[in-house]
Amino acid sequence: MAIKQLSILIPNEKGALAEVTEAFCDADIDVRAISVSDTTEYGILRTVVDDTERAVKCLEERGIVAKKSDILALNPEDKKGSLTEIFKLLGQNGINIDYVYSFVVRKNEAQYFVLKVDDLAKAETLLEEKGIEVIKNI
Amino acid sequence: MVQARIWNKEETLEREQFREIQLKRLKATVERVYNNVPHYKAKFRERGILPGDINTLEDLKKLPFTVKADFRDTYPCGLFSVPKKELVRFHASSGTTGKPTVVGYTRNDMSLWREMVARIVTMAGVTEEDTAQISFGYGLFTGALGLNQGLEEVGAAVIPMSSGNTKKQIMMMQDMETTALISTPSYALHMAEIAKEIGIDPAKDLHLKWGLFGGEGSTEAMRKELNDTWGLFSTENYGMSELMGPGVAGECQALCGMHINEDHFLPEIINPETGEVLGEGEVGELVITTISKEGLPIIRYRTKDITSLSYDKCQCGRTTVRMAKIQGRSDDMLILGGVNVFPSQIEEVLISTKGIGPHYQIKVFKKGYLDKIEVVVELADADFLDSFGKLENLNKLIKNRLKTVLGLDAKVTLVQPRTLERFEGKAKRVIDLRKEEAK
Repeated sequence: MAIKQLSILIPNEKGALAEVTEAFCDADIDVRAISVSDTTEYGILRTVVDDTERAVKCLEERGIVAKKSDILALNPEDKKGSLTEIFKLLGQNGINIDYVYSFVVRKNEAQYFVLKVDDLAKAETLLEEKGIEVIKNI
Repeated sequence: MVQARIWNKEETLEREQFREIQLKRLKATVERVYNNVPHYKAKFRERGILPGDINTLEDLKKLPFTVKADFRDTYPCGLFSVPKKELVRFHASSGTTGKPTVVGYTRNDMSLWREMVARIVTMAGVTEEDTAQISFGYGLFTGALGLNQGLEEVGAAVIPMSSGNTKKQIMMMQDMETTALISTPSYALHMAEIAKEIGIDPAKDLHLKWGLFGGEGSTEAMRKELNDTWGLFSTENYGMSELMGPGVAGECQALCGMHINEDHFLPEIINPETGEVLGEGEVGELVITTISKEGLPIIRYRTKDITSLSYDKCQCGRTTVRMAKIQGRSDDMLILGGVNVFPSQIEEVLISTKGIGPHYQIKVFKKGYLDKIEVVVELADADFLDSFGKLENLNKLIKNRLKTVLGLDAKVTLVQPRTLERFEGKAKRVIDLRKEEAK
């Protein structure tokens, strides 16, 4: 059961981000991870929330389209080279990584990483075989 | 100081002589289209008219109008009145949808065209003494080649520069001692700006005497700016591909309207709402019947340009009727840097593109002196949010499609669905900020 992420198109305007987070806030949706990247024209906000279906609904009510996608959330060991190990493993097995962002989970102060890859099932199997923790629930 | 040079004495005929020539040529044209163009024959029959019913110039109003859509309905060559083997040239301009408006010329049409443009450039002041730089884009657009032929006809030395590559344009002007500039008024202003940037004062360091501007409308304020900046004398001229190209009308140095070459282009002014013919001095839509063309004679073409006609005496000595500066359009056509753009062309591109919604907004604005266009569309398919790559590819796809159809670069902006205004009545999808800026 992969973790769901939402991608939302954000115009390059002041207050555009707040509109999304406010929508979540009003609907009592907890934002677990968030990342925003931009080009000259737009931004894409990517987020993992505690209730994806409700989040999509509350965005739709406001005319905001969100794309659901499956992502990998990992909890690698906090040691030198652990990221390199993950990236190498995926690369050597022909898996392409689209983007990565990290977030901290307060309850255990672990730094989790979100990876968007083109072959999720294969990546998951590979990583688990190597003993890298794949998070099933954020 | 109005120059007395007139290219052809036919521009100075008495009114009665004009009427005689016009009637004779009109009758021949009506015969020609009735017998050779099925589309016209059908239109005439719908109205119960035979060529024999046209006996005076007043009978002109019995004839059906021709509109841009007739070109689309008979695309590409259905309005031509000669077989292809008699044609020697094609040109094309914007259509209201993806297909362009195609026009064609016989050998005689080419001679007529040269003659018409020769009259216009002579009116503007150009002689065989001049070196004329044409900074219109060469190609299917009639402006560049049309002026090229007419300028050669009067014996001017032509530099077929085409548009763009502004620094090189200025270098050529400097090195070749260009005396006449042919371009859109906005591109001329842009060129002057670039010249100043590279340390050249267009008025002092160059040799320009005449500016022949066309392809888009301009204001008296723009004229003054062009004259002062370049140190030249500017006139504007008028034409359109459907009628021939440049050479339909042009300003003489008295600057009191554009003389229409009415021995070949018969003008009327109509009320755009009712189609009723209006009198001298009344403002309405210009309608032109081509009365000398062979390849593509056009009956009562609705130009959609709003103007008025004046028959009073002009101090240049020409007796041809004059049309006032174009005041606007009776349709939604936009002119961007001399390129005609119909919102319907853009709509067609957007509707046929997957992943975006049917709503759109067109913003037209000026960046410096240049016209720019932005098309705002709603992203309907969230799948494109997977990655920037997908989003950028969609953006590029729309851009490329617009470029193919419009022939110019549009900025494309994707927004969230339901961002753009919805209209219950007549949609107002075009925002032309240039008008605001001009105020």
